[in-house]
Amino acid sequence: MSRSGQETEEQEVWRVLSEAGLIEIRLDQFAERIRDVKRIVGIRLHELLDFKTGIQERESAAYSLGTLKRLELKVLANVPKPPDSSEM
Amino acid sequence: MKSTAQQLRTEANWPPQEGQIISFRSSTGSETDILQEVRWGLVWRDFILEDGRVIPEHRVSGCPRPQVWRKISEVTDQEREECEERLLSMAGAGLDPRKRDQPFWAELNQYLAYTYLRFKQAGPKAQDSEPG
Repeated sequence: MSRSGQETEEQEVWRVLSEAGLIEIRLDQFAERIRDVKRIVGIRLHELLDFKTGIQERESAAYSLGTLKRLELKVLANVPKPPDSSEM
Repeated sequence: MKSTAQQLRTEANWPPQEGQIISFRSSTGSETDILQEVRWGLVWRDFILEDGRVIPEHRVSGCPRPQVWRKISEVTDQEREECEERLLSMAGAGLDPRKRDQPFWAELNQYLAYTYLRFKQAGPKAQDSEPG
């Protein structure tokens, strides 16, 4: 149970992901959502760097961050360009 | 709204079998197609259709509520790494994740949801609490 006292674990996960806009990402929001998740991973990575232990999680977080950065670059490279106003 | 008896019948027969016709919500409204495979992703189940589209379980008609999702801790490192490799491979091949209901769109959705949950919920752990 979570904050409401009546919410099951599944309902809580659904709510958390819905609030983060991650259940079904809108087609025009992939780059933004990737940035949001990168930020969360970055915060956790900084926390882990402050501790002596958690090396495996640190490496895994760093790898995930790298994956997200590469995906973001690919997504941004594929963004459809708006029509050039000078050609109109 | 479904009666309790109807709900129990649905849950007993869930998920549908391969080859069954299923109804689901798509961007254009309600559709039906033949189910080819049901596959677990990092968080939820995906329904793979005969035409190659990937429909998340929560959009399929008759899906019991609340639906069953995986716990983050159930996902192995190997599974996560394989997913990351597939995503980078699809991105490298020039696929566009903004094609709704296609494999890249589906896998990237789940990877972002999983990664968010994994690090959002992690927080400092007791065994990590030795500042370096």
